Amino acid sequence: MRFCPYAHRTRLVLLAKGIRHEVININLRNKPEWYFTKHPFGQIPVLENSKCELIYESVIACEYLDDAYPGRKLYPYDYYERARQKMLLELFYKVPHLTKECLVALRCGRECADLKLALRQEFCNLEEILGYQNTIFFGGDCISMIDYLFWPWFERLDVYGIADCVHHTPALRLWIAAMKQDPTVCALLTDKNIFLGFLNLYFQNNPNAFDYGLSC
Amino acid sequence: MSGGSARSLGKGSAPPGQVPEGLIRVYSMRFCPFAKRTLLVLKAKGIGHEVININLKNKPEWFFKKNPFGLVPVLENSQGQVIYESAITCEYLDEAYPGKKLLPDDPYEKACQKMVFELFSKVLTNKKTAFFGGSSLSMIDYLIWPWFEWLVALELNEYVDHTPNLKLWMAAMMKDPAVSSLFIDPKAFRGFLDLYLQNNLEACDYGL
Repeated sequence: MRFCPYAHRTRLVLLAKGIRHEVININLRNKPEWYFTKHPFGQIPVLENSKCELIYESVIACEYLDDAYPGRKLYPYDYYERARQKMLLELFYKVPHLTKECLVALRCGRECADLKLALRQEFCNLEEILGYQNTIFFGGDCISMIDYLFWPWFERLDVYGIADCVHHTPALRLWIAAMKQDPTVCALLTDKNIFLGFLNLYFQNNPNAFDYGLSC
Repeated sequence: MSGGSARSLGKGSAPPGQVPEGLIRVYSMRFCPFAKRTLLVLKAKGIGHEVININLKNKPEWFFKKNPFGLVPVLENSQGQVIYESAITCEYLDEAYPGKKLLPDDPYEKACQKMVFELFSKVLTNKKTAFFGGSSLSMIDYLIWPWFEWLVALELNEYVDHTPNLKLWMAAMMKDPAVSSLFIDPKAFRGFLDLYLQNNLEACDYGL
């Protein structure tokens, strides 16, 4: 689905590694019956190869692509550094839920000061990591897997209306700016107006929301 | 391979020194199933290691410098590198040490193991809802329950202390009329199990 942050991770990795692929978008509000043969709960993203092998869970799919395809490795070669990136992912685990809750609260006209505070705290933790490492990216001086795994939620802060949550985290803002310079990130940036158009329709429960912006 | 049965270190204890060259240290707790994962991999791969048990009810202050989450297992090597989260420690050991590979080399086979692990973890953590099917008890809860009933019957239910959502679920299940009316009597169950493990043909009728 064009606006799903989890699927976004997989598309970033496919592009970063130059892996030839085709995309089938699924209408998440009106899933085709056959889709449940691809994923037991009908979730995305799911990878399927020519051997009919299916891989799901965004992080697992991203690692599979890094392992199975040649060229640029997104995870570090060093075992400890690889483990460090996986530990960093643990630090991130509350962010998707909190950003979604903020979005829903704002869209439903509800207060979300507590949620934003909690989100800011999570961003402070990430800020500390960047400060301690003194590197631009989470994996070092070059962009790597962990940066791509974090990115989709940061790209959405603005359209979700919570960009002010990074006001107090300068290193994180520098990271965001650096990410926006990355060719892969750039190539997949979604136009703000299209994203807002999708969100408007989505929160009106319009089944065509997912196709907003496509000319048929 | 020392320390597996050593007393745990608690608040006020001195931080342990550097890990000796040639060994890897695991911070553990004798009854923690997550730490058990790491110990299993260390043993299976024949990795030289030392164990420091942590008193999880009275954690030493220095332990949070090893793992900010304050949980076991944690690995520490002689270069002072620290790895935590049980699955990450296990994968690290498999990659960093020679000998039999526990994870498959094939990327797809490896991904399959990770997908199964994710499903299993969802059962263990069950973060989102009170019951496995939602906010009320349903089929999936009855389908899963019997194995957890065994834990209670064998008085092993403290093993779920580290997975509080699971513990809450078990407590909720035991209040269900169907579950409680069919609850296994611990004594009878132990009697059955003893006979069963001895291949005694009368096992199934124990207590009748």
